[in-house]
Amino acid sequence: MRTSSLFALLVSALFAAAAEDGAQVYNTLCVACHGPDGKGLNGLPPLYGSDWPKGLPDRAIKIVLNGMTGPVEVARKAYNIEMPPQGAVLSDEKIAAALSYVREKFAGRAGVVTVDQVKAVRAATSTRVKPWTAEELLADHPFPVGQSLLKNLVGTLYKGEWKEMPDFSKLKPALMEDFNTGIIDPEQSGMKNNYAMIWTAQFEAKQEGKYTFVFDCDDFGALYVGGERIAEIKGIAPVGGRVKEVPVMLKQGSVPVRVEYVQGAGQAVVILGVKGPKDKDFKWVSSAKSSAKTAKPRVSIPIQPKDGVAAIYRNFIGGTSPRAIGIGFPNGMNLAYSADNVAAELLWSGKFMDGGHHWTDRGAGNEPPAGTGVIKVSDEQAILLDVGAPGAVIRYTTEKQGADLKFTGTPVAAEFKGYDLDKLGNPTFKSAGEGFAVSDAWVAEEASGKSTLTRTIKVTGDKAVTVVLARGPAVTGPSDGLTDVGGLLQIRWLNGVAPRANDAGKSLTVTLKPGESAVLAYNLR
Amino acid sequence: MKKLSLFLALIALTAGLNAAPAKAVNAPKAAPKAAPKAAKKSDTKKSEARQSEFYDRIQIPTPVGEVCEVSSIALMPGKKVAIGTRRGDVWIAEGAYDDDLSKIKWTKFAASLHEPLGMFWKDGSIFATNRPELTRLTDTNGDGKADRFDSICSKWGINGDYHEYAFGSEPDRNGDVWVVLCLTGSFHAFSPWRGWCVRVTPEGKMIPTTSGIRSPGGIGANEKGDMFYTDNQGVWNGSSSLKWLRPGSFQGNPTGNKSAALANFPAPPEPASGSRILAERLKFPDFVPPAVILPHGHVGNSPSGIACDMTKGKFGPWENQMLIGEQTASQVQRVNLEVVNGLYQGAVFHFLAGFEAGLIPVRMDQEDGTLFIGGSNRGWGSRGSKPFTFERVRFKGKVPFDMHDISALNDGFEVTFTHPVDAALAADVKNYKMDTFTYIYQASYGSPEVDQTTPTVKSATVSADGLKVRLVIDGLVRGHIHHLVTTVKSQAGDSLWHDEGWYTLNEIPAAK
Repeated sequence: MRTSSLFALLVSALFAAAAEDGAQVYNTLCVACHGPDGKGLNGLPPLYGSDWPKGLPDRAIKIVLNGMTGPVEVARKAYNIEMPPQGAVLSDEKIAAALSYVREKFAGRAGVVTVDQVKAVRAATSTRVKPWTAEELLADHPFPVGQSLLKNLVGTLYKGEWKEMPDFSKLKPALMEDFNTGIIDPEQSGMKNNYAMIWTAQFEAKQEGKYTFVFDCDDFGALYVGGERIAEIKGIAPVGGRVKEVPVMLKQGSVPVRVEYVQGAGQAVVILGVKGPKDKDFKWVSSAKSSAKTAKPRVSIPIQPKDGVAAIYRNFIGGTSPRAIGIGFPNGMNLAYSADNVAAELLWSGKFMDGGHHWTDRGAGNEPPAGTGVIKVSDEQAILLDVGAPGAVIRYTTEKQGADLKFTGTPVAAEFKGYDLDKLGNPTFKSAGEGFAVSDAWVAEEASGKSTLTRTIKVTGDKAVTVVLARGPAVTGPSDGLTDVGGLLQIRWLNGVAPRANDAGKSLTVTLKPGESAVLAYNLR
Repeated sequence: MKKLSLFLALIALTAGLNAAPAKAVNAPKAAPKAAPKAAKKSDTKKSEARQSEFYDRIQIPTPVGEVCEVSSIALMPGKKVAIGTRRGDVWIAEGAYDDDLSKIKWTKFAASLHEPLGMFWKDGSIFATNRPELTRLTDTNGDGKADRFDSICSKWGINGDYHEYAFGSEPDRNGDVWVVLCLTGSFHAFSPWRGWCVRVTPEGKMIPTTSGIRSPGGIGANEKGDMFYTDNQGVWNGSSSLKWLRPGSFQGNPTGNKSAALANFPAPPEPASGSRILAERLKFPDFVPPAVILPHGHVGNSPSGIACDMTKGKFGPWENQMLIGEQTASQVQRVNLEVVNGLYQGAVFHFLAGFEAGLIPVRMDQEDGTLFIGGSNRGWGSRGSKPFTFERVRFKGKVPFDMHDISALNDGFEVTFTHPVDAALAADVKNYKMDTFTYIYQASYGSPEVDQTTPTVKSATVSADGLKVRLVIDGLVRGHIHHLVTTVKSQAGDSLWHDEGWYTLNEIPAAK
């Protein structure tokens, strides 16, 4: 008796002491982003109200071990943020303790995570180096579905192409199948494009009262509850803009639900959720959840010329090189200059740029021009020495070599030296190589409703230099001083040295001796 | 047998040992010894509450309606201050030093830099290290706006990855600007010179200077002109730290090593993963260990800007100490440095807290003693909850009772206090607790604390003036962080503002 109670005491003492303090781990490492109350700090994702820590613990363990990257929806909000991996920082004991704490405090008492569970996941993912994406994790560890509110779900497939809702009674079904998951998913069609689906099911109203149905789809569809069409999505558009939320009074008992859905091409999404008289949130009966109303909309921060002065945007502009300099002229023409290639590379009309992408969150990735009619006129070094010498400026570049990357120092003729801006924001880009300098000035003009960029290129020093004006798109001309580039751009020779087409319309160049210049007018169609 | 081992375990427990050794999969074969944490962490809330006795921290209004995520600060003649923002704007403030900040006047000097992280004023121009280049911005026609943008150097690689940041210093005594280049995505080197420190001469020449960088948060020189940067916890960094950029050195992260061949730079070390910094740097003499480790989670999570206090007392008694911004905790930490056997080392202490956003640049006006600080929490969380901030801090004249510095001795440490200590308390070894630890040096992200030990404070001898206490320690461990917690009081009976410090003992000095 005595020994056994001593033994019990020993065991319990051991356990108490061996248990890592989950609260302490959480409040040291996790709190900075997820907050002391688990609700997320400064726009970072919450744990409270999130499905991610719930269910079987493997998903959450994987996130802690290897981190997470990319877009993710948490508690019906969209995020794009990186969680650093903690697998090399925290022992299995500490991870188990921290996750147990999180699940107890913020995840509706989702249950203790044991050291053995962490150990097993660590062993199973030992070769994993990269952080996980939300998509990968959900493929392996979907959120607990629970009991769907739809019973006896049956899908009927029709093949064809429709511009408006067909009369299904006159169509011949291609396939009919029951889906005991009770979850509506366009993938159940087994097709990508040009089909229609009808899903029928029984919805069980647990009590009498107001039920709100939220319905959205692309391309178009309709929702029937109790035999009545309560919502219709018309026309062809992606999900988000046309979401319908309809309240319906239901008596206790079973009610027939019918969803009609027509898919043309591209995105295929059906969203259906129900909120009962006592529910706070929608319960989803479709694979796609939420909708534009709950997803974070893309923030738009238009960057436009102001008060007749050109706008400038130095950032990663899609279609040109990383050292990009965008100029949005007040006459509605836009230019992206590559400082890497000392080249004017993109021209377009209309809207200049949208900063909403780079100026929110971490700003990863390229942002394409916001306007229309984008033409890429060049994508390599645009300043060449006429004598064919490679040049004396070393530029460090990266080449793919099998799976590896090889760095090289490549000699080029010229490097970027900066730019001047006049009072109206018109830029003069400057570049130089051994013994010469090039200035490349762009001025916006507007005459009788026609927008023009006048470009003046000058060379100084002791060498002749060839400037590539276009290389890539088809060059037609010059004829009477006028050259068409890619059907989108016209370059008219105004003054100085005239440009010439080379290699049967493959490129347009101008060769300038020291002291010479070329003046050209650019018009976009 | 089973009972016996349990019984032994219980003895270990009652002896205060932590029975849950960190069993990380990446842990070294020699299991870390179980050891206690020396003492409880200091009460940060209490320290923050006392801050206003000593320092005046105030938010400076930024241009109304503008998003000023301050990423750079440059001090200009005539008490003007320029800020650079993550969106690329440069604004100049007149009146940022004034008592009445409501009259501050802002002028937009330029738009469109690409995330400037390091600005200074020189010869009538603003120089900004930004992602693609070092840019010189000049107002040639005197209308208050930059109209000439010279690209001084753009030789380093960028590939469009948002994490390829470039942090630039103020010019060194040769006029060179030191630029630390973050890895691609902070894990890879997909572009030339990522993971390197380069110097840019006034003529625009780029001199590769050190390898081994991971993810910098700021760069700045000490009073001798030696350059330091902060590097963040991650791959090959068990914890964040303050590192000394000795030219020719390797800073510990081999990811960017392959750029060495581009400039016939000697091949940097290829250290073994799962080792210790000490073991690897003894193999590779070019490997300069972190000067001061800023223990992850204890001191902060992501260090940023650096300013050396050379105000000759105008900012408090911290002459030549390094002040270090902290993004996550929205704090400023304080570091004292010394050179032992040719390497920098020293201690870090908590210092200023309560800033409004995640901190990025830290600039000291050495003449005036005003500390300017800015930040943003976009993309990275911070304790300060505002999306961006610009602030200034001034010393109010009352010197807090604090550890001024910790200095290594052959057989212990000498702790200097800012006020004379209560001699009886200070001479009692019970008022000092020390623990040591280090991190695994590894290719994985971060590290647990390992190899913990508990040295014994054998004696504490107070100097005649009561400002210094010489601690003789049994169990110094070369290469370890030595965490000291003390409960001594001042002669006047004050408790310490901050009661703990972390000394990185790279080298144990020879006996004098």
